Amino acid sequence: MTDFDALWEALPEIVDGLGLTIFMWLAGSLLSPVLGLGVAWARRFGPGWVDRPLWAYVEVIRGTPFLVQMFLLYYGGPFIGLDLDPTTAGLLGLTVYGAAYFSEILRGGLIAVPKGHVEAALCVGLDRGQIIRRILLPEMTLLVLPASVNMFVVLLKETAVLSIITVPELTMAVTGFGSANFAFTQSALVLAICYWSLTEITGRVGRGLERRLDRFRIA
Amino acid sequence: MSGEIAITMRNLGKRYGAHEVLRGIDLDVRHGEVTCLIGPSGSGKSTLLRCVAFLEEHDSGIIRIGGAALGFDEGADGARVRLPVGEIARVRRNIGMVFQQFNLWPHMTALGNVAEGLRQVLRLPKREARERAMAHLGRVGLAEKADAYPSQLSGGQQQRVAIARALAMDPKIMLFDEPTSSLDPELTGEVLTVMRDLAAEGMTMLVVTHEIGFAAHVAQHVVFLDQARIALEGRAGEVFRKPWHPRLSQFLETYLDRGASVLLGG
Amino acid sequence: MTWIHVYLLAMGALVTAGLSVVSITVGLGIGILVCAASLAKAAPLRWVARVYVSFFRGVPLLVLLLLIYHLLPQIGIDVPGVVAALVGLTLCTSAYQAETLRGGFVNIAPGLVEAGRMVGLSGAQLLVRIRAPIALRLTLPALVNEAIMILKASSLVSVVGVGDITRTAQNLSSSTYRPIEMFACAGVFYLVLNFVVARGGNGLGRLLGLPRA
Ligand SMILES: Nc1ncnc2c1ncn2[C@@H]1O[C@H](COP(=O)(O)OP(=O)(O)O)[C@@H](O)[C@H]1O
Ligand SMILES: [Mg+2]
Repeated sequence: MTDFDALWEALPEIVDGLGLTIFMWLAGSLLSPVLGLGVAWARRFGPGWVDRPLWAYVEVIRGTPFLVQMFLLYYGGPFIGLDLDPTTAGLLGLTVYGAAYFSEILRGGLIAVPKGHVEAALCVGLDRGQIIRRILLPEMTLLVLPASVNMFVVLLKETAVLSIITVPELTMAVTGFGSANFAFTQSALVLAICYWSLTEITGRVGRGLERRLDRFRIA
Repeated sequence: MSGEIAITMRNLGKRYGAHEVLRGIDLDVRHGEVTCLIGPSGSGKSTLLRCVAFLEEHDSGIIRIGGAALGFDEGADGARVRLPVGEIARVRRNIGMVFQQFNLWPHMTALGNVAEGLRQVLRLPKREARERAMAHLGRVGLAEKADAYPSQLSGGQQQRVAIARALAMDPKIMLFDEPTSSLDPELTGEVLTVMRDLAAEGMTMLVVTHEIGFAAHVAQHVVFLDQARIALEGRAGEVFRKPWHPRLSQFLETYLDRGASVLLGG
Repeated sequence: MTWIHVYLLAMGALVTAGLSVVSITVGLGIGILVCAASLAKAAPLRWVARVYVSFFRGVPLLVLLLLIYHLLPQIGIDVPGVVAALVGLTLCTSAYQAETLRGGFVNIAPGLVEAGRMVGLSGAQLLVRIRAPIALRLTLPALVNEAIMILKASSLVSVVGVGDITRTAQNLSSSTYRPIEMFACAGVFYLVLNFVVARGGNGLGRLLGLPRA
């Protein structure tokens, strides 16, 4: 049996792995900006006392490796009654991790919306909710797009780390197949190409989107 | 209507920390008149305008717009009371503001910018908002730019859209804070023309400007602000014809090369 | 958790720091070359640089490490984990640094170079005296950031058996059954190392007269 026959036979598992990788990535990419926006909003507009703990959360997450965070959550969790299966722990970890970065990205975006744009809205008579929905959020989204696309790519790559806590995603599926067949190199190559394609596509979509949004940017 | 008082300020005061930016300002702005506010940089002109728009909250004194107190009123016992948000919004509805930096919303077209208040605040149906917005764009000569985004417009065009946006809400009073100061010289003309037309139609305008020519020819009333106080005010002709006030003549001298020499020569 | 654990983690921190310093430095050297290639006149050079940057930035470091760890022995080079780790980290960071530097060069205000040309500087002089220093000033904060990224990413070398902070914490956690303390302590070590790098970056910035962040 050649390596490629083995690869063929392992295909269903690899496809499952790819599916889980994409699921974890998309779910993480959806949840972490939402949580991050909550954090950014609370730090900017919330009561003063929330700033310090949230600052600590952001700095600790951004200052330590994702792998260490996942070990702490997955192996340490059960000691404090947080006994999660690998996939749940992975998604929780990815979200908490991504949210810290997104909160900083979005906070920067919120601050960068020119004050005058909000004042112009006040003068036209928009109320608080309308200003948030119609001015602040859209303008912020525009400003944070490049950094966010970057972060989506980071999240995709971090999903590979989840294989270490045995989440059966792509890396785990392929390396598992590899070690069973002593075809590690081929499998690692396949793996590299899968991720490379996904990150390249994401980058291109992001750049295309940016070009299309260019007309909204006043130089 | 014309000649009645549109805005009254009595003993208006504003400070940032220890820094007093406005001190005991008493000023009346009449309906149908153009009032120009001139003065050196840092004298408090923008702050005064922003207080009238309630973008800054004054610390003392009272501002009345068409008789109604803005933001703060005196209670029965003479104490200062803050008015409810709804009341502030209602009084502010009388006012339109045009900023030095245009402040068009970059994610909306010219039409979208003008229609925003019509749709969201006045709750007009889409078609009616569109028609009215188009009419206002036409008024500033930009009907054909309705679908352009701010990034696709020149500075002068952006400022004219900003004027249309303010006019669309049908304000009784228009505030302008150095509307031409961030424009290239060849673009200031088109904005000043729109403002001149507006004045000719009888709009009440309070204008901060360094365009002394505009102040001299269009304004009925000129206010010279210096170091947080009104140093001098009066009919435009009087103020410019005999700038006896030492600070004013010093101030005007810096504008001699901007065409003010013509004025001073009579 | 006893002092011996802290001591062992501190030893791991030395390994982490060593790996990071070597890969950042070598990566900067390679990054400069790749950046030069990406700005070269010859299209093939630019193309190679583009693929290089795209590949090493696009593949997760973990996958890269697995690839190197298993690929090199197959072509007859038997590498210890440390070497695989260094190669992986270096390739990864060199791609990021190349891209950062390229951004710096591209964003130099053209007027500054033109002013140099008018003073009579030659092409090489322009590069050495004007463009490179300005690019460095523009990119220093991003390069410091990149150093911190690599410091954290180096935790992945634990999978090829290198005894860095993370690997040590893993070992201690399974021998003591106290994962929370061990990994939290590991996290503190990373925070301390980051702090040192950030401080160093600030100092370097002051030396270059950069405005304070
Ligand atoms: N938000 C603020 N905080 C502190 N000081 C301010 C603020 N806004 C304006 N100032 C100060 O108030 C003074 C008047 O400012 P401004 O009204 O903008 O003057 P002008 O428009 O006449 O140039 C200036 O000295 C300015 O520095
Ligand atoms: Mg001003």
